[in-house]
Amino acid sequence: MTMYGTAGTAVGPPAVGGAVYDRGYRPYDGPRGGRAAARRALWRLSVRRVLGIRRSWRQKVLPWTLLGIAMLPAIINVGAEFLARQQDERFIPEFITFRDMTDISTVLLLFVAVAAPDIVCPDRHDRVLPLIFSRQLTGADYVVAKAGALFSVVFGFAFLPQVVLFIGQMFVSSDGALDYYLDHDEIIWQAGISVALFALWYSLIALALASFTDRRIVGAIAFLGVVLVSSAVAGVMVGTADNNKTPLDLISVVEPPRALRDIVFLGHIHWENALSGVAGGGIMAAVVYTAIMALCGSVLLWRYREVQL
Amino acid sequence: MARRAGRARLGTMFAEPGTPTPLLRTADLTLTYPSGTTALAGLSVDVPRGSVGLVGANGAGKTTLFRLMMGLMFPTSGWIEVTGKAVATDPIGIRSVLGYMPEHDCLPPDQSAADLVSTFGELAGLPTRAARQRASDVLDLVGLDEARFRPIGGFSTGMKQRTKLAQALVADPELLLLDEPTAGLDPLGREEMLELVERLAGFGISVLFATHLLDDVQRVCDHVVMIDGGRLVLTGSIDQLVQRTGVLRVEVGGRSDSVQALASALEAKGIASRAVDPHTLDVDTSVHGEDSFDIVRDTIADLGLRLYSLSSRHRSLDDLFLQEAAHA
Repeated sequence: MTMYGTAGTAVGPPAVGGAVYDRGYRPYDGPRGGRAAARRALWRLSVRRVLGIRRSWRQKVLPWTLLGIAMLPAIINVGAEFLARQQDERFIPEFITFRDMTDISTVLLLFVAVAAPDIVCPDRHDRVLPLIFSRQLTGADYVVAKAGALFSVVFGFAFLPQVVLFIGQMFVSSDGALDYYLDHDEIIWQAGISVALFALWYSLIALALASFTDRRIVGAIAFLGVVLVSSAVAGVMVGTADNNKTPLDLISVVEPPRALRDIVFLGHIHWENALSGVAGGGIMAAVVYTAIMALCGSVLLWRYREVQL
Repeated sequence: MARRAGRARLGTMFAEPGTPTPLLRTADLTLTYPSGTTALAGLSVDVPRGSVGLVGANGAGKTTLFRLMMGLMFPTSGWIEVTGKAVATDPIGIRSVLGYMPEHDCLPPDQSAADLVSTFGELAGLPTRAARQRASDVLDLVGLDEARFRPIGGFSTGMKQRTKLAQALVADPELLLLDEPTAGLDPLGREEMLELVERLAGFGISVLFATHLLDDVQRVCDHVVMIDGGRLVLTGSIDQLVQRTGVLRVEVGGRSDSVQALASALEAKGIASRAVDPHTLDVDTSVHGEDSFDIVRDTIADLGLRLYSLSSRHRSLDDLFLQEAAHA
């Protein structure tokens, strides 16, 4: 029998009937990334976690089901236009616009409520944070990687239906795909910016709330609770205001990005919004948006400023 | 064999002047929390490379020292250097050469060992493919080759400890910080963990082994640093420390009063001694040092006594710790 030692060399008599390999320890002399590589790795791992990649099928069901549901309006819209393409354009129904599509509220909110706690709570619950911070990462790196991961996934979640709608409409358009593209190319940047505003807004708020707990269910309920309660309070304020127009509508967590979305798509706030007609409504929405984002970012940095071993 | 080769390699490093940077160097290191609790009080120590035991009771400051070494917190005063790099100037860079195995449970139960270890390889900056390969290698090394695709939630305590060790090793660190690696293990698991730690020295990896179990340190370490209440109690090579009793134990016979006769003769030569029993005498070597052996032997010969044994009296690390802590 021959044995092979650490360096992989034979340490016994010549082989007769077999070999025992002790591969021992092999030093690593390949490439090593620094802090940026560690941050990218944490981002990648977090994206994988949210999407259930390399996890059991049970972890995949919810995100992919919600994504499927989010795609339905775009698919139905394109399908209906395809079936009605021979009719006069005036009679073709428009189920949903690109502006509406940026705010696929319930599904998007549910997705964020599930994904945000899933991305940060287990690290605290399973006490993995000390291991993470024993690597080349600071608290700020952790926040950037986690928020970046959630933003990326939420952006993809909300932007993919836009892409399906745009490409579908290109191909069912009676004017031809190229003409449709040339006539509507501004939608690409409008939808991109609007979706980014929504993704950043929901991601930071949900993560900031989830950072206070190590239980995913508590993080999810906290986010949905803030959305529901703030919307209800704002609804009461709007209902009691003159002409249903009041800046207090910004109390609702869902309203600031909606107002900014309107400005991006329309150049002004849509008449259905309670901020329309309010002097400086757009500026107020931008200020509230920026302030809340700064607050959530600060909360996250504070929550991960120091880690107990 | 591997361990001997490794030790020999380290020995060569020590022999070459200028080559070995200390594993850890602190000067007047003090950490006082805002609450007023002093975790470390003026700790000054130079620790050589190799396997080093960091010994102290719970709350002695071991984990605080680890946190300072990793740059996760900064001292109130004083200075700390790890593997030749000042922590204050490059706390993040220091972590690139460290592997850390915490004492507490820190493993996500729904992940497999292979996934977890490769994740931490990636977080240490290794490319994805290399991290997976390294994860496979180190899990083989720690004896988890067959269990690596099972969820960690189903692991025994021993397997979890091995997984923690594997994640600390995955990026091929220069220094491993092991915080109570044998805590909670049964005797067999403890033995296996100590064997693993012992093997690491053979791979050229320095180990700082924090524990309150002095037997474990005596078993696997070359050097020990003892702290108590944030202060240095004792540091040095274990071989030297356990021999440094300053006492020779002599067993003689041949006469009914042989011990008294020898004690009197040694006293005449200025050497103090103490009778342990009618045949055994403890001789103080503090005056004549290494020459004490020859003086005692010659005195016994001059008195015509029979010499049954003559040896340095060894102490355990427990004895040393208790004695030095009492002095401190």
